[in-house]
Amino acid sequence: MTDKQKYWNPILEKLPFEKLQELQLKKFKNIFQWAYENSKFHRDLYNNAGITPKDIHSLDHISRIPKVEKSMMRDIQSKEPFPYGDALCVPVEEVTEFRQTSGTTGQPIYQPDTWQDWEWWSESWAYILWAQGYRPKDRVFIPFGYNIFVAFWAGHYAAEKIGCEVVPGGVLDTKARILKIKELNATALMGTPTYMLSMAETARDQLHIDPSKLGISKITCAGEPGASIPSTKKRIENAWGAKVYDHAGATEIGAWSFECTEQPGGMHVNDALFLIEIEDIETGKIINEPGKKGKMIITALDRIAQPCIRFDSKDIIEWAEDPCPCGRTFRLIKGGVVGRSDDITKVKGVLLAPSAVEEVVRGIKGLGDEYEFIIDKKGDTEILILKVELSPEAAEKKQNIENQLADQLRLKTNLRYNIEFHKYGTLPRYEVKAKRFKDLRKKKPN
Amino acid sequence: MTGEKLIQDMESRIQLMKKTAEELKILGENIPAVERNAARILASIKMLEINISHYLQI
Repeated sequence: MTDKQKYWNPILEKLPFEKLQELQLKKFKNIFQWAYENSKFHRDLYNNAGITPKDIHSLDHISRIPKVEKSMMRDIQSKEPFPYGDALCVPVEEVTEFRQTSGTTGQPIYQPDTWQDWEWWSESWAYILWAQGYRPKDRVFIPFGYNIFVAFWAGHYAAEKIGCEVVPGGVLDTKARILKIKELNATALMGTPTYMLSMAETARDQLHIDPSKLGISKITCAGEPGASIPSTKKRIENAWGAKVYDHAGATEIGAWSFECTEQPGGMHVNDALFLIEIEDIETGKIINEPGKKGKMIITALDRIAQPCIRFDSKDIIEWAEDPCPCGRTFRLIKGGVVGRSDDITKVKGVLLAPSAVEEVVRGIKGLGDEYEFIIDKKGDTEILILKVELSPEAAEKKQNIENQLADQLRLKTNLRYNIEFHKYGTLPRYEVKAKRFKDLRKKKPN
Repeated sequence: MTGEKLIQDMESRIQLMKKTAEELKILGENIPAVERNAARILASIKMLEINISHYLQI
């Protein structure tokens, strides 16, 4: 591969960071002005905070602008024009795309996009797929039923834009999808980490097909943090004999982050299309140095129908220390999205991110891919229940595995767990976003 | 052709295409097949501006 072919856009992806910041400031001022002029919600929000577009002269000024939270969008969308409300910046007749959020954290949010916005969505995904080695020769199989959620729609359009052949595998069941991958010699897959593991299990157990022999060379994951959790990534890579790459995006934001073929232990943020700020959860100050985790506040710099300006994503990220060997100047976030501020919880006085439990479970040979993690309360005592499955071939080693699991959990999370072994294949299998973590304390009074 | 010269040449063609597509959209206002396809072309041209033209504005 020549250097000219390495980047989707070498001009922006190798731009010195100071120039990228100049670009971000110019574009931020444009989108801020656009929202101020075209949306009553945005104009009122900024006027009430005493800030207008003429007050923004440097990136440092941006942190003065009020953030937008998902909960505010719910109120906005109860207003006119139906069904989007007054954050809409274009006439309703210019909206060509409807999507909505999954509603995991409450009432779903509607997302309008113009055709230009939709081109932008697929453009942001084209950066991702090109960086992950997708090329026109690839035949990309997408084992996902597209619907009102944005998941994989833009991946499909971006793969087409790149020139790949795209096979939409939505209406097929898992076995039929695997057989179609085999029949067509597909070279790449897109899916959630959970479903990639589940598909591999179905191939092995029900079709007696070794998924690593199917010729898949790369898998792009989305929807869950798994592909950035080293032990989960390794399981998927081993199962499929393929490179597994993470990406992060959201309906209200766009596809803002991606892992490149160097797999540097983190993801690039697309600094040309987004402005990403990390906010200290306790002080609210912006973190610019590596090694300190905080909450991501994000602006999509080119999205016009329903602008995303200083959106409080709740994603927990941190800047990486070193640049990526791939040569991109787009910054790296260490370990991808490491959690969500509304998922990180205090148990017995210890801060716990559920992803730490997944990293341990998936790192132990002999355990199945599925698990369930529950925090509950009996009287005043908080209890942690971890349900796991033993792989059929590891039945003889149960005690050893249990000891190993308890030790690793204590080491990584400083907590003790009630470990329950369930029969292989009996824990729930998921196709889209898995719900493995349940905090039952919130439903119980003290 | 050197890098900056190449980028300038691409930019002049992007702006030419944009002007042409905008004119076509107006000329085709009574012919949906022209007007709507020109609108789609303009959305694609916007992606060229994001990738090239915006760089030249800094």
